[in-house]
Amino acid sequence: MRVGFLYSLIRKEEKLLIDEFGKHSDVELVMLDDRKLIFDLQHRLDVDVVLERCINHSRAMHGLRILESTGVGCVNTAHVASICGDKLLTSLALHDHGVPQPELRVAFTEESALEAIEQLGYPVVLKPAVGSWGRLLSKVNDREAAESILEHKTILGSYHHSVFYMQKYIDKKGRDIRSFVVGDACVAAIYRTSEHWITNTARGAKATGCPVTDEIAEISLQAATAVGGGVLAVDLFETPHGLLVNEVNYTMEFRNSIATTGVNIPGKIVDYLVAPAR
Amino acid sequence: MAECPVCGAEVPLSNDTVASELMECPDCGTELEVLDTDPLTLAEAPESEEDWGE
Repeated sequence: MRVGFLYSLIRKEEKLLIDEFGKHSDVELVMLDDRKLIFDLQHRLDVDVVLERCINHSRAMHGLRILESTGVGCVNTAHVASICGDKLLTSLALHDHGVPQPELRVAFTEESALEAIEQLGYPVVLKPAVGSWGRLLSKVNDREAAESILEHKTILGSYHHSVFYMQKYIDKKGRDIRSFVVGDACVAAIYRTSEHWITNTARGAKATGCPVTDEIAEISLQAATAVGGGVLAVDLFETPHGLLVNEVNYTMEFRNSIATTGVNIPGKIVDYLVAPAR
Repeated sequence: MAECPVCGAEVPLSNDTVASELMECPDCGTELEVLDTDPLTLAEAPESEEDWGE
């Protein structure tokens, strides 16, 4: 079996995945550096499947789309990448599938965005529709802050910052949950704990093991299905009324989640990829 | 061993080091990328871009 490994850089996650592929003697790994690839629309790569591990969302989404158009199966698919790479499209997919999420608004102008924020009530979290690792998130506590942040985004932001995605702030008591879905199984989960309201491990949150309860497994699989399924990390908020899905990530990072959960997450991913029945 | 292109310190590499791998210089802390394994060549890792993430 020839597996294409589409990547930008080899981080700890990619190294762990390469090590796991090395345990399968029948797998030949074909390294595909997205900085060196030249696509033409007719040529089909001589691989059976591609695992996408790009850091750049734009390269992942377009690279996957081209690969699929030439008949190469990909994990995750271009469709999943396009949905998960855009918080608005993710929210729409969750909504369409009846998956609970924080209340949100979307607006296209400074004025309508301010009105939307006031509708939600303070605090509100303002997010770029495309972005990751907790970057450029704003917790807007009052009208003065809202006016200032919206003005800054309008004047200084690139064009996609003119799509204002606003989410009701959830008081998550210093932690959220990240679950890991591989195919039809929720294989592991962690708590991400921080004194800061942003609980990304990329921003210094501490990862600890979280038991995969039936509720976590159920909503995680629902969220994964909503965006198209595959290998996904689902961010969950705990509320008195149950779990809410905050985000779904399609090139998931797991370096902090193997020792903490005792689950060989890269091993699960590789097993899923090479499974004959997939 | 390879030389850090920023501070000149010796950077230890393992036997399974691969091209494009990220590592940190133990002396200056700069994030480095392995450009090539034969001969071993290091460069400063690319700066994070707006659409980087997971």
